[in-house]
Amino acid sequence: MASRTPGTRRTGIAMKPAPFRYHLATDLPDALSALAEPDAKLLAGGQSLMPMANFRLLRPSVLIDINRVAGLGALAQQPGGIRIGALSRHATIETAALIARAHPILSHAMTHVAHPTIRNRGTIGGSLAHNDPAAEWPMLVLLLDGALTLASRRGARVVAARDFLTGPLATALAQDEMVIAIDLPDSPPGTGWGFAEIARRHGDFALAAVGVTLRAKDGCIADPRIALTGVGDTALRAGAAEAILNGQRPDAVVVAAAIAAIRDVLHPMTDLHASAAYRRHLAGVLAARAIRDAWRRAGGEA
Amino acid sequence: MTFAEARPRFVGAPIRRLEDPRLLTGHGSFTDDHAPPRCAHVAFRRADHPHARIVAVDTEGAARAPGVIGVFTAADLAPLVRPLRATSRMKEYHATEILALASDIVRYVGQPVVAVLADSRYMAEDAAELLDIAYEPLPVATSPAEAVAPGAALLHPEAGTNVLLTRAFTRGDIDAAFAAASVTVSGTFRLGRKTPAALENRACLAEWDHARRALTIHAATGIPGVLRDALAECLDLPGTRVRVIAGDVGGSFGGKGSVYPEELAVAALARKLGRPVKWTGDRMEDLTATSQAFDEIVTAELALAADGTMLGLRADVLGDIGAGSIYPWTAALEPVQVVSFLPGPYRIAAYAARVRGVATPKSPTGPYRGVGRPAATFAMERLVDLAAARLGLDPAELRRRNLVTAEEFPYRTGSGLIWDRAGFQESLAAACDAGNYAALREEQAIARGAGRWFGIGLATYAELTGIGSRIAVAPGMPINTGTETSSIRIDATGAVTAAFGIAAHGQGLETALAQVVADALGCRIEDIAILQGDSALVPSSTGTYASRSAVIAGGAGALAAREVRRKLLRAAALLLEVAEADLDATDGIVRVVGTDRSLTFREIARAVYSEMGRIPRDRREDLAASETYDPYLGTAACATHLAVVEVDPETYHITIRAYYVAEDCGRIINPLIVDGQVQGGVAQGIGAALLEDVVYDGAGQILTASFVDYLLPTAAEIPPIGITHLELPPPDNLLGVRGMGEGGTIGAPAAIANAVADALGLAITDLPITPDRLFRLLASGETA
Ligand SMILES: Cc1cc2nc3c(=O)[nH]c(=O)nc-3n(C[C@H](O)[C@H](O)[C@H](O)COP(=O)(O)OP(=O)(O)OC[C@H]3O[C@@H](n4cnc5c(N)ncnc54)[C@H](O)[C@@H]3O)c2cc1C
Repeated sequence: MASRTPGTRRTGIAMKPAPFRYHLATDLPDALSALAEPDAKLLAGGQSLMPMANFRLLRPSVLIDINRVAGLGALAQQPGGIRIGALSRHATIETAALIARAHPILSHAMTHVAHPTIRNRGTIGGSLAHNDPAAEWPMLVLLLDGALTLASRRGARVVAARDFLTGPLATALAQDEMVIAIDLPDSPPGTGWGFAEIARRHGDFALAAVGVTLRAKDGCIADPRIALTGVGDTALRAGAAEAILNGQRPDAVVVAAAIAAIRDVLHPMTDLHASAAYRRHLAGVLAARAIRDAWRRAGGEA
Repeated sequence: MTFAEARPRFVGAPIRRLEDPRLLTGHGSFTDDHAPPRCAHVAFRRADHPHARIVAVDTEGAARAPGVIGVFTAADLAPLVRPLRATSRMKEYHATEILALASDIVRYVGQPVVAVLADSRYMAEDAAELLDIAYEPLPVATSPAEAVAPGAALLHPEAGTNVLLTRAFTRGDIDAAFAAASVTVSGTFRLGRKTPAALENRACLAEWDHARRALTIHAATGIPGVLRDALAECLDLPGTRVRVIAGDVGGSFGGKGSVYPEELAVAALARKLGRPVKWTGDRMEDLTATSQAFDEIVTAELALAADGTMLGLRADVLGDIGAGSIYPWTAALEPVQVVSFLPGPYRIAAYAARVRGVATPKSPTGPYRGVGRPAATFAMERLVDLAAARLGLDPAELRRRNLVTAEEFPYRTGSGLIWDRAGFQESLAAACDAGNYAALREEQAIARGAGRWFGIGLATYAELTGIGSRIAVAPGMPINTGTETSSIRIDATGAVTAAFGIAAHGQGLETALAQVVADALGCRIEDIAILQGDSALVPSSTGTYASRSAVIAGGAGALAAREVRRKLLRAAALLLEVAEADLDATDGIVRVVGTDRSLTFREIARAVYSEMGRIPRDRREDLAASETYDPYLGTAACATHLAVVEVDPETYHITIRAYYVAEDCGRIINPLIVDGQVQGGVAQGIGAALLEDVVYDGAGQILTASFVDYLLPTAAEIPPIGITHLELPPPDNLLGVRGMGEGGTIGAPAAIANAVADALGLAITDLPITPDRLFRLLASGETA
């Protein structure tokens, strides 16, 4: 994607960051007050920030390291849902029992995020704040109707994922705001899930990925949710396709109609790795697979 | 052959690599590990235009930036270092200059223009940003087709053309062959542009010794001897005052096999400033300014008789050589080899081919593992499969009918190469056996019945390795690449030092050479220190490339070790008062055969060097010898690769289900190393087949300047590889070994392309094949 591609033209030739100051935040108020400085940047896992800084695509005045802020990486079951601290690492999500119980799709999807060493560092907060158009987290949080708690010296606010993800590498975060936590409401019992992704190599950013959750009720689909990534400016929900599936048996005709509805709304990009046409095609193929898997996991009969 | 070598103890044994403990525990010593005091660090400001005139360079701001030691342009360096020119004896060839820094014109994005020296690389990069370079863009012709068109913008106007080289080969009556054919098949094939992408980026550190008025250069290079010779020339210094040390080097794959502008600049600046100067390339510099590879358009046509006999082959090859020639290989290395190797291991009476190398504003192409042969093999092996389909013959059977057979060696190919002898037929049979070819075809039929896209691909190739002095590795190149020297001595403690001119960069050559020397000398591996990668060790050497080190340096090592052994036995014979013929050396001990009398190397060395009087003065001789080996001709090496792939009919994702290699590398020095080389080579071939592609846009900007866009295969993409080594009569060189460092890369692109074509019934003509390309191919409805 253009955003991740440092053509030599735009960068000059550099692999070392421009000068910046480093601030190790001791606690949340400290981090938030440091973040009030113009061009300050938070440093979480550094897996997206450091490459961009090394290419001098980003020139932060100060890097505020939040890795020592206590409690920011906590996972907790709360009434009606789970709360994931912004500093939770991809590897933690991949392996946590709480996650496997509440949202097994997350445990599985994390195995598609980069490679183990990167997952040991990379965080959910960093991924959402970065909002790469092909990243898994924005799609997953959108799929699961998540909400983000944002904080600044001015106070805290809660923003739904669909309002948070505003465009490629763009979010509703104000310059002085930080993601503190992500709330994911519990899915109703019996929810099945499906996740399908194709990347050039395992661990690369997705050419297309699709997540689905649904329930089987009286032989028909209930509460279908479908989200995609890699096929547009930012992750998106396939509302029209969800409506087509809702209350229907997932037979070939219905699924084909849902796939057509998905392909209709996509505006994928063409880059070195894939054409827009291929990405659109792939999104449909993967959606069909994810719907089928979700239906099977929901106990729906074949 | 000596007594000891008739019963080799080490050659052939799976000895663990002696290099690995230090490399795997972080005790390697790479160029960037050297941190001399007062070192100046270089950041190059590089061209961001593909073709432009440098109108003005404003260095003021950079010169005043914190930590800056100096800012240098081409004008500053011109009096310090002469340009390099890779000349050639080829008739239709235009040599181009290699300058330390671009002067007047830049010819590719990434070409170094200004050198900024500072106390740290960070400061140097900060200052380099402050440079203000005014360019006047010049027209570009980025594709080879544009560049050869009449009226195209010229990259080197003094040549009068962008076609910097042309060469033709003909044998037999090609028109008659095509007239007699009952089947002809043809295609236009393109193997994408590749970059070596070694783990360690290029780097060099130059130190000027005021006392000796001499330069020592630590460099990540595979050719320290060539670099020494070039620097001596360009800096006008005698060879005694230039020493190039290539310590541990983290891979090359050809990328570290040429002399580069950065090395000229760093050496000249160290001498000028009288302090150490270091440049460590970063990944972006590596991807934009290390020699690139392949990128030929091969249009070829094969004529066959009704029974499948190959009658004639015609080809026209257009190679995109990038901005100009590299040193010392010239721009002819890669494209001319495509035409040289196109007929491959087949018996083809008539051959007519033309190759042109065309300059484009891209990083120059140079040596890359396989040189020319991957593209040649891809084109030829596709033609063979196309012909098999047309004739209704099984692809394995068509190959069997046309591969040169044992009785026909030595066989002269249409391009004039001579195959001494190698297991062409045997490799095909062995690969088919290993993969259980007949059963695979049955499995394929069943899979197809179930709607699965399942394909089987073969590729058989031959290459020339360990090339002696009769021909240059690069056509027309005026430097000798056919000899290597080894200098071996037993010192006063009885320990053995074996020095070589070659420069290993990951191949395990220290181990392989130690095995050869230990057997020839009759000592243990641990008695030997192998020295290599240092221009001061032997008078002349061109280094490690072109699958030559085991054959040529190994041969030199055996010759020198035999000579030292003779001296050792002569001394022992005097000391023990027996005939030399009664002595044998093993494990560092010389024994009187059939008795319990013996002397250790250490005891003999002490007698020779220290205990004066034990050996008569006129019989005393140093336990040392230096020998040069020249195999004169090259030796053929060959393999057959068998790939089994499955393509997802919906996503077009390609999975390699199984992979087999049956190869003939002659006598195996170390099976662990041979297996590792085959596996690594196949991995790179898989990269070429499925992933790797250097892309420039129409304006000449490089789009693959990071590993986000230049995709290398990872462990997840590499299947287990079943390797069969053929045990055939070895070739007729000193050790009976064939070069085998490159073969894996040669066969894999072709085998995978054939397997994908077989799975889909599609004409696969361009590599890499990506799911997106398959999708578009299928959408366009083209079939084979
Ligand atoms: C080789 C490689 C492959 C990768 N492949 C994938 C992939 O397949 N899928 C994928 O999704 N990701 C991938 N990534 C990215 C990885 O998942 C990163 O971890 C993620 O994008 C950013 O998380 P981070 O914690 O490292 O954030 P950082 O890099 O530290 O920060 C990223 C941005 O977020 C901001 N930020 C960080 N934390 C917060 C916060 N709490 N509040 C507000 N702003 C914040 C930073 O200021 C910065 O602007 C890959 C990375 C690499 C290096």
